[in-house]
Amino acid sequence: MRVFKGAKIIAGAALLSLGLAACGSGTSTGDAGGADQPVRMRIGEPQKLFYPSDTVESEGAEVLASIFAPLVKYDEDKKPVEFVAESIKTNDNRVWTIKIKSKFTWHNGEKLIAQNYVDAWNYAANQENAQSTNYFFARVRGYDALNPGEGKTPSTDKMSGLRALDEETFQVTLKQPFSQFLTMLGYSAFYPLPKAAFDDNGKVTEAYAKKPIGQGMFQIDKPYNKGTDQTINLTQYEGFPLDKPKFKKLQFKVYNSAETAWNDLQAGNIDIQEQLPPSAISAAKAELGDRYIDQEDASIGYLGFPLVASDVYDDPRIRRAISMAIDRKTITETVFSGTRAPADDFINPLLPGYRPGACQACVYDPEGAKKLYEEANGPRTLQLGSNMDNGHKEWIEAVANNLRSNLGVTVELDQVEKFQEILDRLEAKQYTGMFRSGWLIDYPSAENYLTPVFSTGAIKTGANYAGYSNTDFDRLLAKGDSAASLEEGLKYYQQADDLLLRDLPMIPIFYYRMNAAFSEHVRGVRINLLNQVEWASVEKVA
Amino acid sequence: MGRYLIRRLLQAIPVLLGATLLIYAVVFALPGDPIASMSGEKRMDPDIVGILRDQYHLNDPFIVQYWHYISGVFQGDFGRTFAGVEVSEIIASKFQVTLNLAFTALVMEAVIGVGLGLYAALRRGRAQDTLVLASTLVLISIPTLVTGFVLQLLLGVKLKQSTGIEIFPVAGVSDGLRSYLLPAFVLAGTSIAYLARLTRTNLAETLRADYIRTAVAKGLPRRRVIGRHALRNALIPLVTYLGADLGTLMGGAVITETIFNLPGIGQELFRSVYERQQPVVVGIVTLLVLVYILANLIVDLLYAVLDPRIRYE
Repeated sequence: MRVFKGAKIIAGAALLSLGLAACGSGTSTGDAGGADQPVRMRIGEPQKLFYPSDTVESEGAEVLASIFAPLVKYDEDKKPVEFVAESIKTNDNRVWTIKIKSKFTWHNGEKLIAQNYVDAWNYAANQENAQSTNYFFARVRGYDALNPGEGKTPSTDKMSGLRALDEETFQVTLKQPFSQFLTMLGYSAFYPLPKAAFDDNGKVTEAYAKKPIGQGMFQIDKPYNKGTDQTINLTQYEGFPLDKPKFKKLQFKVYNSAETAWNDLQAGNIDIQEQLPPSAISAAKAELGDRYIDQEDASIGYLGFPLVASDVYDDPRIRRAISMAIDRKTITETVFSGTRAPADDFINPLLPGYRPGACQACVYDPEGAKKLYEEANGPRTLQLGSNMDNGHKEWIEAVANNLRSNLGVTVELDQVEKFQEILDRLEAKQYTGMFRSGWLIDYPSAENYLTPVFSTGAIKTGANYAGYSNTDFDRLLAKGDSAASLEEGLKYYQQADDLLLRDLPMIPIFYYRMNAAFSEHVRGVRINLLNQVEWASVEKVA
Repeated sequence: MGRYLIRRLLQAIPVLLGATLLIYAVVFALPGDPIASMSGEKRMDPDIVGILRDQYHLNDPFIVQYWHYISGVFQGDFGRTFAGVEVSEIIASKFQVTLNLAFTALVMEAVIGVGLGLYAALRRGRAQDTLVLASTLVLISIPTLVTGFVLQLLLGVKLKQSTGIEIFPVAGVSDGLRSYLLPAFVLAGTSIAYLARLTRTNLAETLRADYIRTAVAKGLPRRRVIGRHALRNALIPLVTYLGADLGTLMGGAVITETIFNLPGIGQELFRSVYERQQPVVVGIVTLLVLVYILANLIVDLLYAVLDPRIRYE
């Protein structure tokens, strides 16, 4: 009977397989009806462990936002309002005195003190620690001493512009007045860190980054093993002094595919999903009713001109004509199934300062475009570079078709895998064509759509990939920065925006939209303008 | 036999070493700085990029970087990802999932594929035979992406919505073997069909051989003629196919793993290539090379079991 030995091997393998399978984590994910069941939300895999000052991507930030509480939150009018902060005062927009509420405690029971902020910010701003939110602190006085440049060692580990006045108050002194400083404070880079986060050398430990101790609504149950764990489980922190969520447990589930997560939402295995796949939009709209959320999102998609790398596009009429030749409405409706909206300003409609229809060159006008293009004697061949990941391939092809048929030019597509490749090649002047680009704000201020993307200073360190440099523009930004109030600053930023709309160093193509859905097990889901769920308003439905 | 085995295993060593060098070089040659692209489409402070590149030895020449890596491997250190996670930890956990998936798929292939083939071969030319041929043809011609999403929607989502009972989980690995049934079937689909057709043809041919007629003429019972005499001979090409398929099942499951959200090797490899995580890519690919080598070895050894005329000395 030797033939059946083979069968035995196979059967053995099957048993092995069963045994292995049974070893998997045993939590069953049935219906969320029970009281102990967590509210479950989909995220993508966080890029790093939970170092607050080293988290610049949305997935890690979403988790951190449940563990930490920010100094300010944003109200219905998108204005910053104190949250952990009791008061934030300034007379000149340069020296800011921040007092924190006295009743906040860390998850380990220690009291939250002003020094915790000072420690965390000094750590983030120090180049030795190579934190990716380092640049957020560049406006603080003493930042330069912590960042002498590669190969040099900082002479100190403290910014001179940052000090604790007493247990509950600290003072931040900026290099220059900055009217928008308040709006920055809601971002994860400005979370504090407890004493327990640091080792003897003043470094944030890996153990802490796996199981961060915060001062927010939820505490993490166990250390997170990145790359292995598929869920992150959190329990409500009883000591949280402000409005608490009306449920006890929260679970983040990692899904790489939005389509799969959407299927699991329909099957009742997750409760909240941000960023639905375009293929799910029409079904979600039709079936979910008020469990479908479609709201504005802070990101913009552009087409940029290589103003540094080439002189082909120097005539602004060429740039204007190209902009007029693109049918934004059709592209956002068909290619994106409504997950994007046509852009008509450099400032996103989510924020104060946006003016509908400000970009006249964004109005689709094929005849006018062709006339203008021929007047300006535009090039007969256009190059269009883009990365193909994140769904960029399709809309770039649609834009290319628009340009071909409306301007009568040849369009060569130059498609690469990642955006970084375009940047590298633009910098080396190996690529001299138009390119796609995008921007997601770091903090909710109109200023953040201008300075980091179009100011002269942003050519080297920011996202000014076009290489736009205009002293008038820079001057208006400086005026806005030193204005007496947020509102007054806005006037100058809008004037700066007008210059961009005239010069069009990049052309705005679309605004992203936030398309989210939630299951019938929860209600009251609201998503704030940082694209994070407001847990305090979420309720479970029995 | 023993010496043969040792010789084969020794041959594997240079192959594995060569594979690590080759893969390391390929990932090295990919464009796009891994550190700079960590911040997505935002530009990181060039000084910070420089400091991080130093920390990860990325400014060293290729051969120095490779030496760092391979000398670490010999000391049992498979390196760390840019997020600071041990590569060995990642691979161990992902490999487990892929192993579960691949073996479940392999069992399905063997049982369903061979079973269908056997069934069809014994009813050659009849309606059942035609049905098997037609259905396997359909299975072969539909891409995994389609079967994956369709079965997930029908058997995962719709079945649960209409009955309220979860038979096949939509995604994830938290339900033990049940989690793997649907993805394993999707992954094995094409192979099941191939295997069924292969079995059918082989067996049908063997059944017409002279020695089978002799066995029947001797008056042996039908079960023994088919099971012992015909099937055993027909198994050799099937075992070859299954052995080669194991490697494909493990390394080529990116789509299935993504659709069903199984945190396995395929997805990890895809992401690591995208993020230029050399140590992870090299680790996984080398492991897959090892699996191929072992699977081939086992197949060769099985030949001797199935056919007494084959001897290894």
